[in-house]
Amino acid sequence: MNDRGPAESTSRRSILTKLLQGLGLGLVMPSRFLYANAGSDNNAGTKDISSLTVRVSNPLDAETPVREFISFLTPNARFFVRSHFGPPPPEAVSVANWKLRVGGLVDRSSEFTSKDLREMESVTITAVVQCSGNGRAHHRPKVPGVQWDRGAVGNAEWTGVRLRDVLKQAGVNEQARHVQFQGADRPVVDSVPLFVRSIPLEKALHPDTILAYEMNGRALPLLHGSPLRVITPGWMAESCTKWLTEITVQAEEAKGYYMQTAYRVPTTPVEPGSTPNVSSVPVEAMVVKSIIAAPQEGETVKAGRVTVQGVAWGGGAKVVKVEVSIDEGETWTPARLVGEDRPYAWRQWQFIWNAKTGGTFTILCCATDARGDVQPATSPWNPSGFLWNGWDRVTVMVSA
Amino acid sequence: MKRNSQATVGSFVISGFLGLVVATAAQEDDLAAVSSALAPRAEALILARCSVCHSADLIVQQRLPRARWEATVEKMMHWGAEISKDEADLLVRYLSARYHQGAPDQVLPLNHEIGKTEPLTTEPAAGGPLVGVATRGADIFAHNCQACHGAGAMGGVGPKLAKNPILAHEDLFWETVLRGRGPMPAWGAVLTQQEIADIHAWLLSR
Repeated sequence: MNDRGPAESTSRRSILTKLLQGLGLGLVMPSRFLYANAGSDNNAGTKDISSLTVRVSNPLDAETPVREFISFLTPNARFFVRSHFGPPPPEAVSVANWKLRVGGLVDRSSEFTSKDLREMESVTITAVVQCSGNGRAHHRPKVPGVQWDRGAVGNAEWTGVRLRDVLKQAGVNEQARHVQFQGADRPVVDSVPLFVRSIPLEKALHPDTILAYEMNGRALPLLHGSPLRVITPGWMAESCTKWLTEITVQAEEAKGYYMQTAYRVPTTPVEPGSTPNVSSVPVEAMVVKSIIAAPQEGETVKAGRVTVQGVAWGGGAKVVKVEVSIDEGETWTPARLVGEDRPYAWRQWQFIWNAKTGGTFTILCCATDARGDVQPATSPWNPSGFLWNGWDRVTVMVSA
Repeated sequence: MKRNSQATVGSFVISGFLGLVVATAAQEDDLAAVSSALAPRAEALILARCSVCHSADLIVQQRLPRARWEATVEKMMHWGAEISKDEADLLVRYLSARYHQGAPDQVLPLNHEIGKTEPLTTEPAAGGPLVGVATRGADIFAHNCQACHGAGAMGGVGPKLAKNPILAHEDLFWETVLRGRGPMPAWGAVLTQQEIADIHAWLLSR
């Protein structure tokens, strides 16, 4: 780690300047600073994160610029990173030291090494992974938390073993209702609650819920949970525990802050800006959403045929329609769904816009899924700013 | 004795009253002025107390009403942030003045250096030279230094301090902690001299 730290010759003034800039601007930090904070390692995919937009430099929260979403798969090095405490020390999750323990309401408490897992049947699933707070910055009034814009989401091919195959080896008891996950990451201060989450047994036993050790055909990078992370296709990323070391089968939902307080949404509409005392449920499935990957916000395009393109995805049902509006939602025209059509992946779409006159125009997009769920103009306000899926909007200048 | 305690009570009442006047005046001040007045100490606290777990960029991107800043600071104290009640009040005032819901997206950095903040205590405690207590130092180290210098002072982003030659040069050690050095910020505005002596004593025992 030391050799990645700021060089000895770095003047104190420049460091202070950076700190002050950090206090004032929330800027994109120089990559050297990032390496010092993000936990350096030799895994493929973590060396080049300079293409990400850093929201929090330590522990690292960084999102993907939406122009990357022109491609179906999001490359590992350009995939958003969300950290609660940052990655564990690389030696803690090295092949030699790492083990997965399965316990709780099982017939046989079991341990799995990386080798054990690789000897089991492997499956590959293409799935969107999205932070529940993606788009939080768009909620009004503003809510606390990382102010994610549009890029805390990505689509990747995940390879690993079925969680149910692992659970089967341990033997799940009849009283089991939930499966709890804990990773090897730890807070700096012991009094901070650990990131402990659970999913209902039904989701855990679903054949598409996997424990992934590869991402886009490469070893899972450290920043993305090496050596093993949970992938719950269709569900938000807080269920996709990284650096997984403990699986506990239990009768109850996980206790603790990250299950009982955080990552929950109200069950009834709440007054925007209020601190409601209403019942809430854990965030689970994603909601139908589309975003515009091109053109870029603020871009100047030539009058004539302009290709508008992006991606769309849902949580419970496939996307069947994406529509585009150039007149603030007065009229909508269907876009063409293109490319791969896989159950948990996003769907690419294209729309040829005939921009006849010069001026400033706002492009909106709106997706509909097979259940008839439609992306709303703005999402219901909630105190933590989860599940934003308002119409995406990009403003461009057309030069005549 | 009785006279003394009455005088003490009296001075509390007066200082309490002055505090109220100051607070009221401050609330009527331009928010930017309040925030500039509070900034050096508040920013030193943010750097020292909050940055143990997360960088300041997480804080400055928030735009929250005072009640939510209060709730946030309280949550962080509950989670172990080393903040006294007075420091928490100061942080809430600073944060809600500077990063309120009407604040612009970009809040420019303030034009001062954290290292210039007045040290908490410039003179050794009355009653002789400071004697560090290693057992206290372990805890102070864990809450202030460990994030960069690693558990057991074995190194991390910052250098390993266990058995580090600097420990034998107390003047250099003190200078570094009080004023900062290279990427390390100054801690003079955050740690008391007794706390620094305690950390030094503990490091020597490593």
